[in-house]
Parts: sequence; structure tokens; C-alpha cells
Amino acid sequence: MYSLLALVACALAACNGGDGSKVEGAIEVMAFKGGYGIDMYESAAKEFQEKNPGVTVSVSGNPRVWEQIRPRMVAENPPDLMFPGWGMDHWALVEEGQLRELDSALDGPAYDGKGTWRETFDPNMLKLGQKDGKTFMLPYYIMVFGWWYDPAVFAKNGWTPPTNWDELLTLCERIKAKGVAPIAYQGQYPYYMIEGMLYPWVVSLGGVQAIVDAQNLVPGAWNSEPMLKAAEMIDTLNEKGYFLEGSTGMSHTESQTQFLNGKAAMVPCGSWMESEMKEVMPKGVTIEFMRVPVVAGGKGDPTALLVGVEPWMVPTHAKNADGAIALYKYMTSLPKAKEFVEKKGTLMAIVGSDQAKLPRVLEKPAAAVREAKTLYANQHRQWYPSMQKEIEGAITSMLNREITPKQFVDRCEAAAEKTRNDASIPKYKMSL
Amino acid sequence: MKGRGRVAFIVSFLAPAAIVYAGLVLVPLIRAFEFSMFRWRGVSNKRTFIGDENFRNLFQDRAFATALTNNLMLLVGCGVAVVALALLVAHGVRGEGRLRKILRSIYLFPQVVSVVVVAVMWQFIFNPHGLFNAGLRAVNLSKWTHTWLGESAWALPAVGVAFVWYALGFYIMLFAAGLEGIPHEVNEAAELDGSKGWHRFWRVTWPLLWSVKRVAVTYLTINVMNTFAIVYLMTRGGPDRKSEVMLTYLYEQAFVNSQFGYATALATGNFLVVMVLSLAILFVFRRNPVEARP
Repeated sequence: MYSLLALVACALAACNGGDGSKVEGAIEVMAFKGGYGIDMYESAAKEFQEKNPGVTVSVSGNPRVWEQIRPRMVAENPPDLMFPGWGMDHWALVEEGQLRELDSALDGPAYDGKGTWRETFDPNMLKLGQKDGKTFMLPYYIMVFGWWYDPAVFAKNGWTPPTNWDELLTLCERIKAKGVAPIAYQGQYPYYMIEGMLYPWVVSLGGVQAIVDAQNLVPGAWNSEPMLKAAEMIDTLNEKGYFLEGSTGMSHTESQTQFLNGKAAMVPCGSWMESEMKEVMPKGVTIEFMRVPVVAGGKGDPTALLVGVEPWMVPTHAKNADGAIALYKYMTSLPKAKEFVEKKGTLMAIVGSDQAKLPRVLEKPAAAVREAKTLYANQHRQWYPSMQKEIEGAITSMLNREITPKQFVDRCEAAAEKTRNDASIPKYKMSL
Repeated sequence: MKGRGRVAFIVSFLAPAAIVYAGLVLVPLIRAFEFSMFRWRGVSNKRTFIGDENFRNLFQDRAFATALTNNLMLLVGCGVAVVALALLVAHGVRGEGRLRKILRSIYLFPQVVSVVVVAVMWQFIFNPHGLFNAGLRAVNLSKWTHTWLGESAWALPAVGVAFVWYALGFYIMLFAAGLEGIPHEVNEAAELDGSKGWHRFWRVTWPLLWSVKRVAVTYLTINVMNTFAIVYLMTRGGPDRKSEVMLTYLYEQAFVNSQFGYATALATGNFLVVMVLSLAILFVFRRNPVEARP
């Protein structure tokens, strides 16, 4: 009954409030307060206020800000500019007409007047917020997916980061012989294995089109040859005992802590790794990023890199959309982006921002992005969450050796087919 | 006080509570039934009436069936464990003695701790490199170690253990009060008749705990069927839905998949299941077996 009441309370809260009155010059910003905090948005807001007399900007945020944003969206009384974070279903907002299309603003001048605002952004990242060529969400910081290792441990043991599958198998055997688990993974959050192994190996084996087809729900894409082979590669590592024992039951922080404590030599994770783990980083431990080892001679681009963004948006019912756009233009101007890179230690979707003084730990991910001829993302995770859940369940069962790689891909294909045939689920197209 | 005056007097006392109850419980419940007939993504005020479609989908939803089954398995497993352990400890803490006094003062401790802390603590205990496996290794039982929260066979029992640990104190208190409530004369008479040990427990104590059992089983059913935080924090319903329960699935549908209409149908389903189970329990315990005897 409590569940019933909670859902209704959410709905009823949404019926209240929202007088629709427009406050001239006031801009309200609500932002997800994650590892990077909201202090940089606050300082940007303060500067913007000083540069624009008559404008007042309020910034608020917390680690579960989407919970405050959701009822305000329903009540059509949203903030003017928002970064709702991972807990918000961004595409539901798009489908429900809750986000302002930003293309005319993007085609306007950039903050510094040099070129258009659109040119400010990396086009690959800009695409991640588009549907049918229309832009509803804008990127800010970006995440790059790869593997991590401790260079000191590797140097001490004479190990070299593997660049391909064969080198990986050889290295894993050597690591295992030393009594260390070669690889740990975040079993309670199976998307780490999907993004850290499955996807990169599918791209390596079948080219990036294989992953585009899978995300576009092309029949047969989820149980295609590259998908099966990639699943078999994961199964091989498992069969040979190269995974840290018990990884399936570990959360992201647990498995990453095991890695930092030297129980495992490598772990798949995004470029946020250090900022996420800095509190528990043992003294003297350094970590380094490496690209996922690919299949030598594989069809795909060996420099291909999986990236992700956490987007910002302007709600349709924002009272001061022009103000919000102007503020975000300022926040995404090159000097501000560089400042964010330096102070927060993350890469940004702003062209040229990697020319800032990067923290050591970001040098490799930044170089990987620069070298990458192909950047792609796991978009179906947000587009089709129920399908993602089924795929995550299936990969967990495969990692528990309860189903074979063939059964895994067949379950994925069945989930894709179910999604494809469900008319109530809006469909999206990925393009490169 | 007679007639109308008496009615007015009673109504004036009942009305405030009735109004609050209607406003905070009945109206939202009715609204919930209403929402369950809509397709609503919970991010705008656009709702589409779809009649009973959410309920028809619910009946065909294998994940819901898995979650309901897991809830029922938890109910049986935890129910038996809680009642047996609570009775045992309630017996144990009766009477005088230092140890008993200490036990009496600590058995409610898990109830005082936040359920979030309980879940995190048990997650740590059941971690593959955590206390439980370390304990098994220490007593030379390494082959019994498992990835308790990651293996299909063990995730749900592991969650059940955490639930029992958390819930037990309350039921110990209930049964301890129940045992205290059994009149001394009855126990003395049983003793004079030569009834001891198990015989006395089954023939005297157990039947006389009727009202406590009724409360305990009803409350336990509601608690288990509405379990959320422990499961969500310990396993998130995994691996591969092996520890999924109704409310974790409801949370997924509402807050991950943005299917608020369907989630409300799920909540309605959960409500009906709990209601049916509660009524069944009241039916089973409808008559006091002690009073019923000639």
C-alpha cells in the first residue's frame, strides 16, 4: 500500500504549483550534484550575473535532483536550465515534448562570437542528444570507457598493457601465475561488462556497424557472429579463471577497491574512475587508462572508443529559455570549459578544451579520444531500459556460467525483438 | 446521552480521524487505481486512458511472476525462521540472570538501526571477500564459500538472512509479551499434571500464543511483501532477477523505465496480494482454539 501511496503522492504533487508567471531576468538552474559538485556552475552563474546586470541566476542541486525536477516537469513549472543527472529518463522528456529544441540557438553565434554555438561542441557528442536530426540535449563533460591498471605494479612485474586479444590472454596467464586475479568487474552493475568488453569486441570483430545495427534493433544484429564471438571471448576469460573470484556479486566500488588494493590487475571503467575512487585510493597507488585490447586484424577500427555524456537541457516550459541558453553558452565557452577540465579533472565535449592542463590521469583518455577515428556510445541503455535490463541479466547469467554465449546472444536477440515489436516503445536511430 | 445527541457526540470524535484517513489514505488509494488505467510516463501531465491494458500486461509479465514468487519464497522462509527464532529467544530471555537482562536490552538493536545501514552491513558480510567467507575459511570450510549475493542459488537466501536479522527483534518482543501474558495458574496446573518440555510447549504455550501469532504472521506478511530497501541495496534484484521482489520491480518500472501507469498497476497488484494474504491469515486464525474447546 505504501508503494501505491508514494506513486500517487508523486502524481498529486505534480498537480500543484506552477503559476506560469515569468520573472524577467531570473534564471533558475537545477543540477545533479555528483562527483564534480555544483560549485563550478555556481561560480559561472555568479560571473554571468556580473557580466549581465539585471540578470539573477539561482543554482541548486543535490545527488538526487531528478526527484525534485520530475514533479516540476509534470506541473509545467520546470527550472530554466537543468542537468537532471542519470536518474532522469531523458528520452521520456523528449518524447513527451518537455524539452526545447535547441537547433536555432545552436546555429546562432557562440559566446565569443567566433563561429556558431554548434561549432563549440564535438559533433560526435552533440549527436547523442539528437532525435531525427533535432537537438534536445546538449553535452557538457564526457566520459570515455576503457580499462585501468596500476603502471607501478605492471612495471615491477615486467607486464605490458595488452593491445590485442592474444597479448591479453598471454598477460592474464602471467598475472594469474603470480597469484593475482587478472581482471575484476562490477558484477552488480552489468553494464560495465557490456561497455567494457562486449561492445568494444563487437566493434573490433564486426566493425562499428555491428553495434549500430544492434542499437537500431536490426533483426539478427544481437545474435550476429561478432556478437557471439565477443560473448565467447568474455566466456573464455571466465573459463580460464581470469576474473577476480566473486566479481559477479560486487558493486562498482567494491570491485574497484579490490583492484586498487592489488587483488586484481585490471578493471574496466570509465574516465571517472579516479574521481570516484579518490577517497579510498591507497597511498602511493597510481592508475592509468588503457584502451580495451582489441582483436588483431579485426574488421573494426582499433582506435574506436566508447564515450558517454550526461546532458544539459532547457525545458519547453522554461520561463526564461533565452536566459538559460545565454547562460549555457557562457558555461560552454572555451575558457570556462578549460577551467572545468583543470579544476574537476574530466574531459569536456567542448572543442579545444583538452588543450587545458590536464590532470595526469586524464592524459591517456584524452589522447585516446584525439586518436580515435570512431567514437560511439551505448545509447540503447537510455532508449530501451527494459531491453537493457534483460541484456544485463543475461550477461550476469553467462558470467555465472548458467547460460552459454549462444544462449546469451539469443536472449539479447529475443529482448531486441520484443522491443522492436512493442508499438508502445518509441524507437530511435543511431547514426555515425 | 441518547439518540441524536449520542450519535453527534460519537461522530464529533470520529470525524477528525476519519477525515484525515480519507484524505491521506482512501483518496490516494482510489487515485492509484485510477492511474493504473493510464499510460503515463511520469514526466509530463499527458496521460492516455488504456483501460485494463496494464493489468493484462501484468498477468503476462514473467518478471512480475518471478518477483511475486520470490516474495512468497521469502515469506515462507523468513516467516518460519522469524517465528521459530523469535519464540526461541523469547523463551531464552525470560526470567532473571545477568545474561538474560543483557539479551533483553539488545535484541531490539537491529530495529533501531536504519534499514540502509543493515543492508550495507550485510552486503559487507556477504561480500566474496567479506566476513562470512572469511569465517568459513577460518574454520577450514573454504569449499563452502560462495559469492553469496552474486550466485543465483544464494542471492535470495542471503537477502532473507539479512531480513530475518533486521526483523527478529520486533517479533521477539511480541512473543516475549505473549509468553508473559500466559497466566501463571495455567503453567502451574500443567506442571502439576506432569506436562513438561516440548509437550507443555505444544499443548499449552503454543495454543495460548494464538493472538500473538495472529498479529505476528499478519505483520510479517505485510513486511515481507513490502520489502524493498534491503533487496534493492544488497542485490538490486540480481543476479538476473533471482532476488527480484515486487517493489524493486515496481521501482524499476516507475523510475527507470518511466512507466508510471504500469508501476501503479503493479502497486495495485501488490496491494491486492497483501490484502488477500492478510484476509487469509485472519481467516485461518479466526477462532481462538483455546476458547473453542468445550
